[in-house]
Amino acid sequence: MESNKKYWKGLEELNNSPEFVEKNKHEFAEPLPIEELLSGSGLMAPTPRRNFLKALGFGVGAVSLAACNKVPVHKSIPYLIKPEEVTPGVANYYTSSYEGHAILVKTREGRPIKIEGNPADLLSKGGLNAQAQASVLELYDVNRAKNPMKDGGESSWNDIDSFVKSELAAIKAGGKKIRLISSTIHSPSTLAVIADFIKQYPNTKHINYDAVSYTGIIQANQNSFGKAVLPHYRFDRADVIVSFGADFLGSWISQAEFMKQYVSNRNSKSLESKKMSRHIQFETGMSLTGTNADVRIPVKPSEEGIAIINLYNAISGTTLPGSQKLNNAVAEKSILIAAQELKAAKGKALVVAGSNDVAVQILVNAINSLLGSYGNTIDLDNASNQYAGNDGELVEFINDAKQGGVDAVFFLNANPVYDYYKAKDVKDALAKVRLKVSFCDRGSNGEGVSTLGDETSSLCNVIAPNHHYLESWGDGNALEGYYTVVQPTINPVYNTRQAEQSLLIWSDNTVKDYYTYVRNNWDKSILAKGGLSGQKGWEEVLQKGLIKVADKTAGTYSFSKDLNAVAQTILTHSSQVAAAGDKVELQVYQSSVMRDGKKANNPWLQELPDPVSKVTWENFVAIAPKFADKLGYKEGDVMKVTVDGYSVSLPVLFQPGQAQGTISIAVGYGRTLAGPVGNNVGQNAFPFYSFRNGTFQTTAIASITATGEKSELAQTQTHHSYEGRSVIRETTFDKYKKDPKSGSGRNAEHKLYTLWDEYERPQYNWVMAIDLNACTGCGACVVACNAENNVPVVGKDEVRRRREMHWIRIDRYYSINDNVTREKEMNKLEKADDMHNMDHVSVVHQPMLCQHCDHAPCETVCPVLATVHSSEGLNYMAYNRCIGTRYCANNCPYKVRRFNWFNYWNDSRFDNYLNNEHTQLVLNPDVVTRFRGVMEKCSMCVQRIQAGKLQAKIEKRSLKDGDIKVACQQTCPTNAIVFGNVNDPTSEVAIALKSERTYYVLEELNVQPGIGYQVKVRNTKEIEA
Amino acid sequence: MRNISSIIKQISRSVLLVAGFAMLGFSGHAQGDAAKGEALFKANCTSCHKLDVKMTGPALGPIITSETDDKWLTHWIQNNQALIAAKDKKALSIYNEYNQAGMSVFASLSDGDVSNIIAYVRGEWKTMKEKPPGKGDPANPQTSTESGPSDLVIFGLIGVIILAFIIILVLNKVIATLERLLLSKKGLLPEETETIEGGVPVDKLATVKKLLKNKKLVFFIILCISIAGSSWTWVTLWNTNVHTGYQPVQPIKYSHELHAGTMKIDCQYCHSGAYKSKNASIPSLNVCMNCHKMVKTESPEIAKIYNALGYDPKTQKYDSTKAKPIQWVRIHNLPDLAYFNHSQHVVVGKVKCQTCHGPIQTMKEVYQYSPLTMKWCIQCHKRTEVNYKGNAYYDNMISVHDKIKRGEKVTAAAMGGIECGKCHY
Repeated sequence: MESNKKYWKGLEELNNSPEFVEKNKHEFAEPLPIEELLSGSGLMAPTPRRNFLKALGFGVGAVSLAACNKVPVHKSIPYLIKPEEVTPGVANYYTSSYEGHAILVKTREGRPIKIEGNPADLLSKGGLNAQAQASVLELYDVNRAKNPMKDGGESSWNDIDSFVKSELAAIKAGGKKIRLISSTIHSPSTLAVIADFIKQYPNTKHINYDAVSYTGIIQANQNSFGKAVLPHYRFDRADVIVSFGADFLGSWISQAEFMKQYVSNRNSKSLESKKMSRHIQFETGMSLTGTNADVRIPVKPSEEGIAIINLYNAISGTTLPGSQKLNNAVAEKSILIAAQELKAAKGKALVVAGSNDVAVQILVNAINSLLGSYGNTIDLDNASNQYAGNDGELVEFINDAKQGGVDAVFFLNANPVYDYYKAKDVKDALAKVRLKVSFCDRGSNGEGVSTLGDETSSLCNVIAPNHHYLESWGDGNALEGYYTVVQPTINPVYNTRQAEQSLLIWSDNTVKDYYTYVRNNWDKSILAKGGLSGQKGWEEVLQKGLIKVADKTAGTYSFSKDLNAVAQTILTHSSQVAAAGDKVELQVYQSSVMRDGKKANNPWLQELPDPVSKVTWENFVAIAPKFADKLGYKEGDVMKVTVDGYSVSLPVLFQPGQAQGTISIAVGYGRTLAGPVGNNVGQNAFPFYSFRNGTFQTTAIASITATGEKSELAQTQTHHSYEGRSVIRETTFDKYKKDPKSGSGRNAEHKLYTLWDEYERPQYNWVMAIDLNACTGCGACVVACNAENNVPVVGKDEVRRRREMHWIRIDRYYSINDNVTREKEMNKLEKADDMHNMDHVSVVHQPMLCQHCDHAPCETVCPVLATVHSSEGLNYMAYNRCIGTRYCANNCPYKVRRFNWFNYWNDSRFDNYLNNEHTQLVLNPDVVTRFRGVMEKCSMCVQRIQAGKLQAKIEKRSLKDGDIKVACQQTCPTNAIVFGNVNDPTSEVAIALKSERTYYVLEELNVQPGIGYQVKVRNTKEIEA
Repeated sequence: MRNISSIIKQISRSVLLVAGFAMLGFSGHAQGDAAKGEALFKANCTSCHKLDVKMTGPALGPIITSETDDKWLTHWIQNNQALIAAKDKKALSIYNEYNQAGMSVFASLSDGDVSNIIAYVRGEWKTMKEKPPGKGDPANPQTSTESGPSDLVIFGLIGVIILAFIIILVLNKVIATLERLLLSKKGLLPEETETIEGGVPVDKLATVKKLLKNKKLVFFIILCISIAGSSWTWVTLWNTNVHTGYQPVQPIKYSHELHAGTMKIDCQYCHSGAYKSKNASIPSLNVCMNCHKMVKTESPEIAKIYNALGYDPKTQKYDSTKAKPIQWVRIHNLPDLAYFNHSQHVVVGKVKCQTCHGPIQTMKEVYQYSPLTMKWCIQCHKRTEVNYKGNAYYDNMISVHDKIKRGEKVTAAAMGGIECGKCHY
């Protein structure tokens, strides 16, 4: 190793806290009480031997009885009339669309079991994020509404229709307002249905309300350029990216798309052509984007606006009135560096800000205009339709309704009682509305909760449950000129009806059937755009899933408004959120996993560790270690955070990189009526929002108090420890340019000694290459793997016991920035109280899964040969042979083996996931579910390998590279994972592994892992602090 | 005895095989173009016609042989609808006889094709009349032989034990006699205590009691019992959950003997999944209805199909509200932990259905023929040669080429076919 940098996953690991050392001595957190039983008290107990013999006797008896069982009778029920396209046992793929992404839905015997990206998708070219992958599980949620509901009880569609129609007629006659509140809709057909509804009831208005909104950007563009749109950002065209709190690789606007764009300038291909973008991030809490930045500077929320003003000044060479220096020398210096680099990259620069403040966004527009970004890195003419929320309109509605001015309201995919900052206002307002209809699909909330529906719909007269999108017809228009189609892949599971169809019926539309409506709409206006027409054209669309109209030329826009007032607003605002005394600055953010909480009842997402904090099943208060130390908090202490009389009590998480004097809390948690999985997981942070300057703002001044309680976070970060062995290799772009091998540790030659015989791999040698520079750590692969391989969800309590089952995990390592030498670092660390350098940490994400070692240590120790090597380079795991000694997991240097402590799919303690016949329909029938007491691990999707080979054999051709894609690789939006046969020198994976950057984790053990990693390259410069 | 029966089975099979080949040879030289005709016949006609039996359409053997007007026949086969439309007398009579169910139009068949078919039908019918058909297909001679230790071994073991027991008894007797002789020589033999006094019955159990006192004997008996017990347990354990011969009662008395045996309907016609999918799949009822809309409509078993579909044979209408699926009982229950794919074996491996499912064409009711144990799978994978010829997939398999060069057998096992992860995932 050239560098002796220290990497750590959690502070407990860095400081080697006694608890951590103790826990890591054991492979499994809780040792079995064998020793206790054998020594002392166990044998002294009254009758241990007799009990043992009883158990033994019972066991033998039970086994013999079980063996005497007659053949269990299995029924085999064929189709009465088999649909022609279905062959039992063979998957069908249908195109559809998820949030504007073109997708493929894999169905087996008529039920969707997996979502895959459509390679033709304009946004992410076949990649999908974790939410999209997890969306299939929601179809099988047993807590979906099973029938329409009226006044808190189940009803029928006829009753609902006649009730709503008569009410609407009366309201129309009365002349009072009707409001339809939805989260952003970009579906052209849905918008047309709403337009038709408004025609029938002219006093209706449609309000787009996004819980996490982008109104600031939209209004700033209206103000600056007269275009009220969310622009299409092009990170792929940017050489220098400066972001102020915009988590564009996480939760900001279009995750998978931006990941794809961003990495295209940082992956192997780009590096080989000696090109790499530079990314500077200024932010408060550590976001997923911040972890990937080349330079990350923590700034307080109150400093952010000033920092942007200073950047503007530095770029324009002028000084806006009221400009002031930042009280933060590092940030001030970095702003100047950023300004220089941005200017140098004019036309290929991009500045983005996550703020929802119109003034901030206007200033950012001005900066981008100076940098010549419009027409290059920002496209206003082919705008994004993904978010169109208007915060002001919702506030106006609430005020109207409170005064009794609204007689009817419809909620479509909107839940303001939960996610509006003043829930009480919404409740008061709803109390005065005569007809309240929700299209929410939430039904019962599990045992013990009698309320039906979600937070908002439980206050409505009528719940007209909507279909899941996999049961629906529809379309999408995420970007101007990009149309996708939604087609159903299963018959409606429950007695639900598509919201659009309900609206058609209630507005007495001439077309009552939504499918016909979509068809007509496409025939009329959309098919022609793709040069298609008629039935044939429609069928072609259904096959391809999308239509793309050629892009309009992106115009260049120049900013010409006066900025003095804008600067003044920003400064006032900054001073409003600057905390003084013992108060702290609070940043409320959207976690890239749970987002706005609409998917809170999805256990796959709840158990997916947050990419930065690695916390599952909870939100928390993130705080800088040094600041917490000053305040006297320990990790896990429950802190009470209060703003304007609303308070939450959440455990404290030490987050290196968090700005001093600030705390961050994620929204999307604390649902009370989401369903049994999502109810009361964490606390609701939406009430910390405020409505300032015409938009929702996410920052506040909070007072904090210790509650004295402790609550252990279900955090996976240090669960699988390497005992401090070095597993990360990284270098800088400058060093890489000089020597591509830099940092890979491949310069030295070693003599190898081996204990094992060589295996022959005559035909295939399945391996993987993972580019650490392309991996952003988003976690989509984890969910894709869960779906493909029937990986169980274990729940918060079990995660705390280090028993999560994920076959692939993403290890997140912190390290102290390069310029800190080893000696300095050690000196500092020795002084326990000095944690200054935690402000500037750099992060590496490393996907870790079974390495399929050629000299696998697990194979050697298995006493029953349950895990053995194959002639194709795979390490097989035969579950039925496994007797659960767990030796293999103990001997695995990568800690990738998982033990089934329970029958997760048949145990009432795990009710929130697979323990019901309905949810079990999501299981992949080609992969067996594992029983209690056996080991499991990544199989390299052997079912896909076998299927790919069989297909080739049937077609009498040799297997082509790319025929087989493993689940994690398929979904990765950045193509960080490449899988294939390394015996074929032309395969993508063989070429990738030939890269100079390739290294193998723990190569020195000579276990010959099958997964090669490529060195992380950072575009850092020597001058940086 | 299973052994003998299987030997007899084997012999009878080889006889059938010879008979079958002889038959094939016979039909081979019927006509110059009959071979082409046969292919065409099988491709186009067999779904509705047989030579000897009435199916959806008439039995073609007699009707085509007796019809002398070949020109009319050709017209009829190529486009019967035209003949009917032209009110041809013969055509109309056939049409009416078969409930006015029109025959498909075969416009694609040329005059030559049709004459080939006719030639084939006539030739075939002639041979069929001369020689009654043998029963069943020549079944694949490869059969399963595995089911734990064979019966012979067990019976042998028991025999040996009994023999040993007898020998020991005899020896005991000899020892006792010798001892008595010895004692009597020394004059130590005690007086017979029990003298027969006036016909008082002797204690009948005396010998048993005496034997029981013999510790060696008791030990030996216990030993024998435990050996017998453990070998029985061993065999039973080996056969736990092995259900060879499992023959549940099915909801419909469907006979494979009739359909696959007598009617010679190709397996693929109903079990099309076997060629495409991991599941061979039980046919959906619409497949049954392809024929049974017309055939055997009066049978109570067929009525079950109609009931399940909600089909009224009189009005020929379906009522889907009355439809309810038929619940067959699954016979071949491979455990979930084993992945088995039919298409791999049937299409790629070209394994005959009978290899695993036994003489299905003779089964009135289907039973599980093979043990479906892992040992059985592996045995076959070790013995079966891979049919790599003509499949480009195997072209790049270096290991295969090496083996062929060395003149070794290329079995499924040699290709990695017995590695755990090929079936268990």
